[in-house]
Amino acid sequence: MTEQSGDVRTLVEQIAKALVDAPDQVSVNQIDGETIVFALRVAPDDVGKILGRQGRVARAMRSLLNAAGIRAHKRFALEITE
Amino acid sequence: MPILDKIAAAKKIDELLRGVVTHGGLRLKYRITVNPPLVEERDWERPEILVELSGPDSPLLLERGGELLRGLELLAIEMLRLSGNEHEKICFDCMHQRALRIEELRMAASVAAEKVRSSGVPYAFAPMSSRERRVVHLALRDHADLRTESRGEGPRRCLVVYPKSSQTTAARTAPKTIP
Repeated sequence: MTEQSGDVRTLVEQIAKALVDAPDQVSVNQIDGETIVFALRVAPDDVGKILGRQGRVARAMRSLLNAAGIRAHKRFALEITE
Repeated sequence: MPILDKIAAAKKIDELLRGVVTHGGLRLKYRITVNPPLVEERDWERPEILVELSGPDSPLLLERGGELLRGLELLAIEMLRLSGNEHEKICFDCMHQRALRIEELRMAASVAAEKVRSSGVPYAFAPMSSRERRVVHLALRDHADLRTESRGEGPRRCLVVYPKSSQTTAARTAPKTIP
């Protein structure tokens, strides 16, 4: 794990915890590869908050990861599970 | 209803953006203003918290019509648990993108108005956010011979300009679309 992508994992966790009702049930698992995947797990009742209406919140997080990826010269992806 | 504790809200936004800068590595600076002064000619827009971003990575915020800028704004709104009618209380801006976009929408509104007037045919804008549709609604509200309506659902919701005399929406007429 590079320091940069480790930081991005922290960012994903920070944002997710601020969005949900049960921050203690937020976890982010980083899967390294050509694309670095951040597997975000939240409480079942919180999945809607992470996705947002018409998926807008998840899309916002993905555009942020995209920008962070451009800056870090890496490719980041977000997976959401309950 | 105003945001109850604006200072606490501003602190939450600061936390979000500090994370974006320190963990996300984006080279951005930001200034958060509580109760910013109203912008002249935009007195219908009264944000309670204004966030102005700048710095070398500003272009990343402004790509694809400000997608990331609007995304960060949405994340802040959701973190603060603001309801739909309170979204306008938070405004994220970068390099005056908001003012430029409003000017662009007003010009598009005036072009659409002329086309509807000369052709008598309704004119549909491409799908836009509720905030942007509002700008067009307001830009055309004083045109007595026209009326505006939003139609469609969710991300496909768009604004249509009609001649005042034409029948309500329905799918009877296929309006032209401005891409």
